[in-house]
Amino acid sequence: MAETSEAQASASAPGGDGSEDDKRDERMLECNICLDTARDAVVSMCGHLFCWPCLHQWLETRPSRQVCPVCKAAISRDKVIPLYGRGNTKQEDPRNKVPPRPAGQRSEPESAGGFPGFGFGEGFHMSFGIGAFPFGVFTSTFNFGDPRPSPAPRGTAQYDEEQFLSKIFLWVAILFVLWLIFA
Amino acid sequence: MANIAAKRIKREFKEVMKSEEVADGTLKLELVNNSWTELKGQIAGPSETPYEGGKFILEIKVPETYPFNPPKIRFLTRIWHPNVSSVTGAICLDILKDQWAAALTLRTVLLSIQALLSAAEPNDPQDAVVAKQYRENIELFHLTAQHWTNVYAGGPNVILDFVQKVQMLTDMGVDENQARVALSTFDWELERATEQLFS
Repeated sequence: MAETSEAQASASAPGGDGSEDDKRDERMLECNICLDTARDAVVSMCGHLFCWPCLHQWLETRPSRQVCPVCKAAISRDKVIPLYGRGNTKQEDPRNKVPPRPAGQRSEPESAGGFPGFGFGEGFHMSFGIGAFPFGVFTSTFNFGDPRPSPAPRGTAQYDEEQFLSKIFLWVAILFVLWLIFA
Repeated sequence: MANIAAKRIKREFKEVMKSEEVADGTLKLELVNNSWTELKGQIAGPSETPYEGGKFILEIKVPETYPFNPPKIRFLTRIWHPNVSSVTGAICLDILKDQWAAALTLRTVLLSIQALLSAAEPNDPQDAVVAKQYRENIELFHLTAQHWTNVYAGGPNVILDFVQKVQMLTDMGVDENQARVALSTFDWELERATEQLFS
């Protein structure tokens, strides 16, 4: 414990030797618009740092030409990433005037495929249709076991699709025969 | 918001003062008033151009919405250049208009204007007369620009022929600047310039 607090103290106090380096470090964290240390920092996809209030005002100033103020790459409010440092102890909220900084995007780690289940679950799909009697049968029947929401993993997609198509053709044939008989 | 503008100009001013361009004399910057809304810049004419050896003074007006909108800059020193008005000093430079970016600073803008002096864009002119001369008679353009640099910006190259022609017209009671503009416009043909001045 004593060690860490000592390390922190030496890091926060700019020493005589390291002051040049410290200055450079500070400038690295300056907002590219107000040239002050970035507050509510966000970083663009092209890697440039801004205060969110500054960047927001820049985007508001030219809504038709939203480019990075540094490199003129395309930029938008959805494509900046907020930077959260540690120990943000400021009580005042400078974001009263501007909309809150966009939230960070957390994407879930991709699952490794796995057992697809019994055809229900994620693959289950239902729909309703309204129509005159014989056609009403079509609408409800055609959606039977519709596989659209579940892309088949591990290269069996082709196979599934063929199975599904042959099932459909079978149903159409049966219905057509029934319709011929009853109509 | 004006607060941001003043704060940023202060920072930029300090930065310019510490820059190597100020140290070697390519750039100068001074305050005109204490509210940080107006400054005067100076750029040295780039070498191997007709502007070499000249010092060009620029008026810099900082809008309240700076740095979200560009500073308004024009030449106070008269200059013969396709992208600068020979009358008003207005500059045609994309970064001072629609290509402005908030991360540009007074230093980078002044350097861009200096670069414009070495690389004119005659196809996007501010002064059509100058641009026409640039396209049709580049040698005469160079001489004219040199002459203007000598007269207005303290450049070293005296073009004796041009000085004499201006002198002739001023002897006839024409204002010196007007005479120079007329002569420059008509490719230093004394008759056509006189005709235009007295018509």
